[in-house]
Amino acid sequence: MNEHSTKKRPAFDHLFFWFMFAQGGVIAALLIPVHILVQGILGPLGIVPVVDRHYDTWISILGNPLVKLYILVLIAFPFFHFAHRLRYLLVDLGVPAAKSLPAQAVFYGGAVVISLITIWLLLTTAPLSL
Amino acid sequence: MSTETATREYRWVMPRGWWTRRANYFWYIVREFTSLPLAVWLLWFLVEVQRAQSGPKGYVPHSSTAFVIFSVICLGFALYHSITFLSLAGVILHFKVLDRPIPSRLVVLSQFGAWAAISAVIAFVLIYFAR
Amino acid sequence: MAAKRITIQATRFDPDKDEKPRLQSYDVPFADESMVVLDALNYIKGHVDGSLSYRWSCRMGICGSCGMMVDGVPKLTCNAFLRDYWPKPITVQPLNNFPIIRDLIIDMDDFMEKLKSIKPWIIRKQELPLGAGEHRQFTPQIDEFRQFSQCINCMLCYAACPVYGLNDGFLGPAAIALARRYNLDSRDEGLKQRLPMLAEAEGVWECSFVGECSVVCPKGVDPAKAIQQTKLDTTMRFVLPYGNRD
Repeated sequence: MNEHSTKKRPAFDHLFFWFMFAQGGVIAALLIPVHILVQGILGPLGIVPVVDRHYDTWISILGNPLVKLYILVLIAFPFFHFAHRLRYLLVDLGVPAAKSLPAQAVFYGGAVVISLITIWLLLTTAPLSL
Repeated sequence: MSTETATREYRWVMPRGWWTRRANYFWYIVREFTSLPLAVWLLWFLVEVQRAQSGPKGYVPHSSTAFVIFSVICLGFALYHSITFLSLAGVILHFKVLDRPIPSRLVVLSQFGAWAAISAVIAFVLIYFAR
Repeated sequence: MAAKRITIQATRFDPDKDEKPRLQSYDVPFADESMVVLDALNYIKGHVDGSLSYRWSCRMGICGSCGMMVDGVPKLTCNAFLRDYWPKPITVQPLNNFPIIRDLIIDMDDFMEKLKSIKPWIIRKQELPLGAGEHRQFTPQIDEFRQFSQCINCMLCYAACPVYGLNDGFLGPAAIALARRYNLDSRDEGLKQRLPMLAEAEGVWECSFVGECSVVCPKGVDPAKAIQQTKLDTTMRFVLPYGNRD
């Protein structure tokens, strides 16, 4: 069994990733369903007009710095949430290797990479306009 | 843990399909799995942003039936994530006002209220600025 | 009218003879409606097969000794009524996630070590002399932790926890709930001594909030809540400025 408890230390990496997981979970819960409903269902079916159905409206709203910031939040935090959950899901399904440091690097690193891609896309897609 | 001299014990081995044996376990795995379809849908959202780079001529919005079906499935998972996450967060958050704990039902209700309000604002922006 | 009978399928495992556990069927008279699974086991031991081994003591949901898997669900057998299962046969197995010593008896050493490791007693920075009197506490202060103090160490929560089943290094539901019980006690000053155990990798972070520990608890303790709140409090301690002060 365990060595004496003095050997144990708070795991700050786990603390940080759980914090990001919780934040991302709240943001995903609050923001994502309405995007899927409006942009994924109502828009394509033509039930309501939606900004991303036309180039002009889409590019103009993407130019707004607040929208850029919002999209970064919409992507970055939830991806840390997804990375954390999928890693634990693999453990649950019998892949203990998902606990290893390389696995953590792949999953959380993936979330960082997607966040960086998002920043790059937001900076290159539409010129800033106020 | 066991040595040669100790009485032999039968060690527990977690069965691979443990999560199929009880409904609660199954719904827990579904809850964790929601992250996959949500991640895929958000990647599509990034593609939608990226496609705006192709200019007014090259921009054709997604309209296929397959895409709508994919979104409907993702919406199911998204709602399940929202409902479970916001309900469970009510268990975790513990606030006090004037030294009296706020009942967790009130915390959960206010979270669902915030969800509705935020969704309405986002839907308004997405639709209003389409003109 | 012929007397009612019920079939009990109990796990048998003799470490000297058996390679692995097997189920054995027993036919037991279901004499009165208040009979519980533990009564059926006692009938088997007394009248059918004296070699059947299992733990029990109080028969009234207090001692926490008679926890077993009843039809795959961790239950106190003294609190599992035959009338809820009859006429179907009942399968009685040792608690999941623990090594089996014999028949329905599991090895609880790991659990006892974990309970001890979180120092489940009131810790004071400076012990006061006895003459200084008792440590006073008001009812609202007791209400903070009352629920977490109801644990009877029956280990049903460990048997319900797939995280513990996959990795027995996990500190586990009851131990963390008990740690929180003392951390929330207004008389206690031992948080810093317990934090290393709670906040290490196989402490609270191992938990993925399945929530089944709280569902099966016969005493209404909510270990899942204790674990998630410990995660949040620990995080806030390090995230908020000055959060780490005493």
